[in-house]
Amino acid sequence: MNNKLKVLRAMRSWSQAELADRLDVSRQAVNAIETGKYDPSLPLAFKLARLFAMPIEEIFDDGFEGTADDA
Amino acid sequence: MTVSKERPMTRDPSPKGIGGAVGWPIAITLAGAMLVGGFAGYNHGIVEDGGEPMPAWLGPLVGAGFCAIATTIYLRAYRAVWQQWSPRKRRYWLALGLAALAGAIIGTWSAADGDTPVGTVAMIADGPANPGFAIGASLLWLLGLAVSMILYHRAIDDHEERAWLWASLAGWYSFVFPAPVWWMLHRADLAPPVDAMLLFLLSLVVNAIVYLWMKFR
Repeated sequence: MNNKLKVLRAMRSWSQAELADRLDVSRQAVNAIETGKYDPSLPLAFKLARLFAMPIEEIFDDGFEGTADDA
Repeated sequence: MTVSKERPMTRDPSPKGIGGAVGWPIAITLAGAMLVGGFAGYNHGIVEDGGEPMPAWLGPLVGAGFCAIATTIYLRAYRAVWQQWSPRKRRYWLALGLAALAGAIIGTWSAADGDTPVGTVAMIADGPANPGFAIGASLLWLLGLAVSMILYHRAIDDHEERAWLWASLAGWYSFVFPAPVWWMLHRADLAPPVDAMLLFLLSLVVNAIVYLWMKFR
């Protein structure tokens, strides 16, 4: 799943370690999410959304372009 | 947007970071173990030369004394680092530290114990062992593993939990696939008797490889 985490982090000049501290996860977890190797759990996704004050779907993109009826 | 490999960003320099906070306890434990091993080796040499050995408790006492002093110095120097960590992070490193400490004690005890074979890989060596060492090492393994695993599983994040679960599954399969085959071939006199410790070691190695791949790739 694509995401904007790296951009959002860079906009705040945070290192991966700093973001990891704010989320209380390991730096490897942040790196794995940013590089698309790992999709976070729902609680962690909500935590990210709260931290960046954005809806989850603005941070993560699963590539789906249809409507709710198509899901 | 497309994702790409991480490029490190700048960080504020920290005089005492996670490297020292984690590295020093490992170094202290290793140094303590080497001290005890050194005493045991020296004593062994004296006995081989026909001399009077030093008391067997002297090496462990010196090792424990060294570790106590070094740990006190470490705690004074790194208290601030530990205090700024989150409870999850403290539990995580405490769990790993406890596991490493239990392993170091068993290894050091094994090296200091005269009847325990240390010339081969300790985990799969099946030579005789002192009852005291056997009971002590077994208790340390059971209690150390239980306590550190409880702390560990309460401390890991989702990403590490996923790595651990896949690694555990791979370790389980590395036991499930070969064990019955080996057992059946042995019944037909086509293979030596099943070696449980060899299977344990295989499962452990597969677990470690998959865990490291999932966590750090």
